[in-house]
Amino acid sequence: MKKQVLLTLSIIGIMSFTACSKEDSNPPENNQNESILVSNLHAPQDTDYTQNPPVASGAFVKFDFETGAITNSETDWDIAFRGTTLLVNGGSSSGIVDAPERSGNAGAYLVDGIFDEITTINTGAFIQDSPMGLAIPTGSGNGWYTYDPTLLAIYPIPGKVIVLRTADNKFAKIEILSYYKDAPAVINEQIALNDLRYYTFNYVYQDDESANEF
Amino acid sequence: MRVLIFFLVFFTVFLRSGHTLHAQQGVVYSDSITAQELEAVIVSATRTQRQMSSLPMPTQFIPQKEIEAINAIRLTDLLDEQTGLITVSDFGGGQGVQMQGLDSQYTLIMIDGVPLIGRSAGTLDLSRVTVGNIKQIEIVRGASSSLYGNEALGGVINIITENPRPGRRSRIDYRAGSLNTHDLRAQYTDKNSVDQWSIFLNRLSSDGYDLVEGDDLRTVEPYVNYTAQVKYEGELNPNTEMKISGRYYHQNQDYTASSSLSGASDINEFNTTLHLSRAPLENWTQEFEFYTTRYKASEFLNNPDGSAFSQSDFDQWFSRPELRLTLATDSSGTWIGGLGLTYEQLKRTDFFGTPEFYAPYGYVQYENQVTKKLNIVAGARYDLHSAYASQFSPKLAARYVLNDKISLKSSLGYGFKTPDFRQLYFDFTNTTAGYTVLGYNAVAVRLPELQAAGNILSVTVPLENFDQPLRPERSLALNLGLDIKFSSRAKWSVNLFRNDIKDLIDTRVIAQKTNGQNVFSYYNVNRVFTQGLETDFTARINPNLKFSAGYQFLIAKDKDAQEAFDAGTVYGRLNPSSPVFRLNSNDYLGLVNRSKHTANAKVFFEWPEWKIDGAFRATYRSAFGLFDTNGNSYLDRYDDLVYPFAIFDFSLNKALGKKFRLGAGIDNLLNYTDPGRLTNLPGRLIYATLTFKTK
Repeated sequence: MKKQVLLTLSIIGIMSFTACSKEDSNPPENNQNESILVSNLHAPQDTDYTQNPPVASGAFVKFDFETGAITNSETDWDIAFRGTTLLVNGGSSSGIVDAPERSGNAGAYLVDGIFDEITTINTGAFIQDSPMGLAIPTGSGNGWYTYDPTLLAIYPIPGKVIVLRTADNKFAKIEILSYYKDAPAVINEQIALNDLRYYTFNYVYQDDESANEF
Repeated sequence: MRVLIFFLVFFTVFLRSGHTLHAQQGVVYSDSITAQELEAVIVSATRTQRQMSSLPMPTQFIPQKEIEAINAIRLTDLLDEQTGLITVSDFGGGQGVQMQGLDSQYTLIMIDGVPLIGRSAGTLDLSRVTVGNIKQIEIVRGASSSLYGNEALGGVINIITENPRPGRRSRIDYRAGSLNTHDLRAQYTDKNSVDQWSIFLNRLSSDGYDLVEGDDLRTVEPYVNYTAQVKYEGELNPNTEMKISGRYYHQNQDYTASSSLSGASDINEFNTTLHLSRAPLENWTQEFEFYTTRYKASEFLNNPDGSAFSQSDFDQWFSRPELRLTLATDSSGTWIGGLGLTYEQLKRTDFFGTPEFYAPYGYVQYENQVTKKLNIVAGARYDLHSAYASQFSPKLAARYVLNDKISLKSSLGYGFKTPDFRQLYFDFTNTTAGYTVLGYNAVAVRLPELQAAGNILSVTVPLENFDQPLRPERSLALNLGLDIKFSSRAKWSVNLFRNDIKDLIDTRVIAQKTNGQNVFSYYNVNRVFTQGLETDFTARINPNLKFSAGYQFLIAKDKDAQEAFDAGTVYGRLNPSSPVFRLNSNDYLGLVNRSKHTANAKVFFEWPEWKIDGAFRATYRSAFGLFDTNGNSYLDRYDDLVYPFAIFDFSLNKALGKKFRLGAGIDNLLNYTDPGRLTNLPGRLIYATLTFKTK
């Protein structure tokens, strides 16, 4: 009985909400491209230290911006995470172990600035993964993070925005906020050691292929 | 081999000419503290004995009396209390000293005028040096490469060991304190009309300390170390005076890396110096010095079953013959000229070969009291090097006496530091993270090898970029000072300084590896400056009470970083859930581990009727950052900083008769610590000392 009431209330609530937003949705054009927050995307990695140099392995966690969720699809993914490494579904293998097959046309470039102020899409700037390197480079200060060797902590670089062309030629801009579980404000030794590889990031999806702005 | 030939040539030249040795430029020593202060004579600034107050460059001097009053046992205990000197911990565990805002690797550290070596991670660990047999410590600020060459970029710290006083004397000192620390010293000296010799022994042991509970590591592991020094001085023949000294240092320390990996580290160091001097002609002094030192450090880690997990060794040799000529005239000044050769070799785990350096050099210096009011020191040195471009380092300094109270000082000089062995020959792959660090000279060979082995994904910096040799780091230093002597009891000095450094060596990524990690190497990039003001005030309130205070204002910045802030291309975020904002010019804090304000105050007191003396000291550091904590790779005002703090120390000593002396003290009275960040502050330390001496 209680369950039914709850369900009914929920449906009414959702309907009233969607109704409301439909009414309001007329004027501002960019209203549909709101930024969406993804929390605690877990991207584990195994490292084999018996080999010299050590080899990182393990499945990449794939993310699809159209659905806004992680996916197991072999083809319908845009960006993949493992440890600090980010791959795009476009280009050719860079030689990394256990990397998923790239079947799409994804590409990416990095830009410095305030997330909301980055509105233009520079269609000529997209780079794809290749044996010469990744579209989103790894290593402290090269790509999206800096590494603190004292605390062994990964800090996303503030103002570093990844602009992505998705596998099917749509666009997204991404701002990584944290590499640690529940995005703690301060990273201490315990967190750095135990709660790593949990991505929190913001993104804005542009599903118009011909758009040159977000 | 080449060294040997050089040495023999030197030696032959030296023994050929024969004239009677005239009186050395000896200095009469007085025990009284006032005499020491008024007539403080130092040798480091010009390589001649000079009254400190007459020198045109900023110098400082710590007398034995002060070392004894505060019961110091290690060099680090003393330097931290001097204006503008800050003891900083290196990640390798060593403690170095920052001077005029320059990192510890840019200050040349010498014992009796010859350099100490063993900078395995860049910093020379000053806690290695016992102060038990030290006569005085001399500090020269500002680039001094015109006399000392390599490393004397920020300045020079010269530790002068004690010379025997007439008769036979022995002395034993013992200090016991917190952390189960025991310091025992024994000294015997003998001086007669013909010759003199001395022997000094020191043993220091401690349980170390652990600031962060709950992990498997200790902040400082238990250690024990020994120092032995022997000196002899006498006549080789009626013409030639000879000094021989030898120093040996050994340390053994536990080494734990995790709950399952433990081992030990071991340091063995020796230095030997042979010094001959003669006066071939009137007013001429001819000196020959041959110095050899070796620093050997090794550490190992074992698995729980006792099998070896890792072993690393560091074995450095340094030899230097030097011939010096001094012409001292009353009317036309003093000329000093030197010729020498430095030979260095390093064997090290994770190294690309066994590198050797040869660096012949020559220098000239002229000093003169031009008029009654003006004296100048002008010098230049030329260093050749087997691995780098030659370096020319001139220096000019002048002092002008305005009136009997005020004098003005200025000095302008070049300093340089050649890349160390690590920056050239490192060949290291981290076994846990998988990244690789290659020395600059190792890249051309090792990178293609890694490529051939299939370890390289992409090359960011092409090999052509390594065709030109890595350049030495260079600085231009300007010091402008003012000394005011209010009376025989009170004096005040101010010094403005600016150090401009270019070609600072930093690391960068040169290639990506297939395991997702990077290959790093070294390159000349940064342009850095440090500037500020140092000021000291000393007053002898009455014969038994001396007060001193010092302050340093410092700005130390990377010029490229400042430009990035000025251009508005640096961003910050308060926490992961708050928006990114643009940082402006004022948000840049500068280089890490620099406090804008540092200060000290000291009171030394004596109660002659009770035979009591002691000291109360305070040091202060304003806020500083140790690393970037918000990801933008720069130190800005939104990073987590170390809060301002002050350390207070107190010591009290009482003489019992003529032979015994008892002391006690508390270092860091208020028990200030900052566990995760300031690993060199163990908290409050309480100790007692006992001294016995025959005379």
